[in-house]
Amino acid sequence: MSLCQSYVPNYFSIQDILATQEKVPCKFEMQVKHLGFLDPGSDKRDIEIGTSIELPLWMASVLNSQRPSIAEVGLPKIFKEAYRDIMKADPCVVDLHKLAQYFYEFGMCLCMLKHRESSEISSVLVESFKQRFRQILDWAQHSTIEVPESKKLDETEKMIYHMGREVGSSLYLWLTEGGSLITAADMVIQHKKMKLTQKDLLH
Amino acid sequence: MDPSEVEFIAEKELVSIVPNFTNSEVHLISGDVGPFRAGLPVNVPIWMALNLRQRQKCRIIAPDWLDVEKLEALKEEEKSNRFFTKMPSEHYMVVAQLLLSAVDDDIPRVEEIRMAVKDLWDVRISKLRSSVDTFIKTGGSHARLDYLTTMEINSVRPLLPHALDFIDRLQKASEGASRRDMASQD
Amino acid sequence: MPLTLTQRCCHLLAPLIPFTVVFIHLSDDDGVRQVFEEMRGLYDQNVAAANDSTADPDGTAISSIAIRHAALERNKRCLMAYVFNRSKKLRNMRWQFGSILPPEIKANLCEPEIQWFNSYSKCLARYMKSIGGQGLNLAQDVKPPKSLYVEVRSLIDYGKFELDNGEVVLLKKHSTHLMSRAQCEPLIIQGVLEQINH
Repeated sequence: MSLCQSYVPNYFSIQDILATQEKVPCKFEMQVKHLGFLDPGSDKRDIEIGTSIELPLWMASVLNSQRPSIAEVGLPKIFKEAYRDIMKADPCVVDLHKLAQYFYEFGMCLCMLKHRESSEISSVLVESFKQRFRQILDWAQHSTIEVPESKKLDETEKMIYHMGREVGSSLYLWLTEGGSLITAADMVIQHKKMKLTQKDLLH
Repeated sequence: MDPSEVEFIAEKELVSIVPNFTNSEVHLISGDVGPFRAGLPVNVPIWMALNLRQRQKCRIIAPDWLDVEKLEALKEEEKSNRFFTKMPSEHYMVVAQLLLSAVDDDIPRVEEIRMAVKDLWDVRISKLRSSVDTFIKTGGSHARLDYLTTMEINSVRPLLPHALDFIDRLQKASEGASRRDMASQD
Repeated sequence: MPLTLTQRCCHLLAPLIPFTVVFIHLSDDDGVRQVFEEMRGLYDQNVAAANDSTADPDGTAISSIAIRHAALERNKRCLMAYVFNRSKKLRNMRWQFGSILPPEIKANLCEPEIQWFNSYSKCLARYMKSIGGQGLNLAQDVKPPKSLYVEVRSLIDYGKFELDNGEVVLLKKHSTHLMSRAQCEPLIIQGVLEQINH
């Protein structure tokens, strides 16, 4: 048995690092010397005023927090009004894995940047999750195998889904087989499977 | 918690047995059990009843609710009621699972009882699932868990608390955003 | 270049995402070294820019310094997360595989990680020995035990095994045995035996 805690980003959290690696459009309001290579479309030494580049969110937040600010941070496609309307219309059918793997975490970080449309973004985040939650709940508890549709989930949703699925399958096992069985450790089972597939590849 | 841990907790519930031996009181950390007199019913914890039964030292008397008609009635009541109804035992599912697998020759109609318990469980679990969904969608801040049993509550853990924590984080991000909006208007 | 460099850091991290991979990948010492080199480069450039006041008449140098510094911090965070998450996985492995790791896994660890694993194992053993005076094996009875003896089936040709009572049994593939729960639990967890359900 292990303690179960809800995910909250921290300094060491890989999820948070990858979420802040997602790109946002930045329009430079100041000249930046020697860093021209940040713009893949140019071979100049400096970044000139007015240049627009897609940069990772962590860098954008630095550009945005300097006084005066170095660049104006725009909205990535997925959080623009057109996409927000799609999410509002029927959030359950959207393939978030394809659109933005870290939809919620990325969106929350964007909200911190005091963007004009922050409150619209955050309400889309909250509503989308509330609507999509039923699917996660059903997939997690109904089935002992991984549902193929779960591939369309955002990474945080996936984390919640996997936790739920573990509980769902241990409950199923208890209802069908009883609870006292000792079983091999998860890592041991996976290690065995991996060795078997490696053997198959060799022959 | 793993279901086997909930089962462990449920095994402390008392059940009636008729021992075929005589023995004085047994003193346990959880309390005294016995004395045992051959042929006279006595209440013991389930784990002890199962152990004695395995060694052919007693006959287990199934609780009176472990009966097809009573279970059907409970199921109907559960279906017609918006809220959860009170179960005859805080661990009805575990008690049924344990006793039915141990005493299949002591009780008549075991298979039917097993089905009835499973039906009751299914009705309650699907009710639980849709109320969890409504709870999330309407943004409720508290819910009454009266008459839900440990195993049932455990079935939505850690999924529900995790989802609630997550929604809380999403909402905090939005509160932060709207506060900043107001500040910039001043 | 800071961008490609922090991206390289993310490549280091990607295989460590929970739920995607259970196994530790080969420790990417080379990748870590490259990140260090780039960090040194960023630091040197910033020191030079800060000392060279003549090159900055209009005060724009500060923005390049801020960006480079952020990249430096970002790289540091990625490296820390890399080390931290690998050791977290290693700690889990101690509880699942026991104190001896399968050779395929051990081969993917770097020297400091092996040292860390060994000292974690030692630390844990010392703690378990100290509990309650006579010691308590915390890895035992992970699920509430139901009976003293359980029936098991051997999944592999394991060889001879000595029981508590001195009797020696031969664990052959498919052979079944009645063993004390305490003795066979570690073997079941390590996938040598499986419990037979009735």
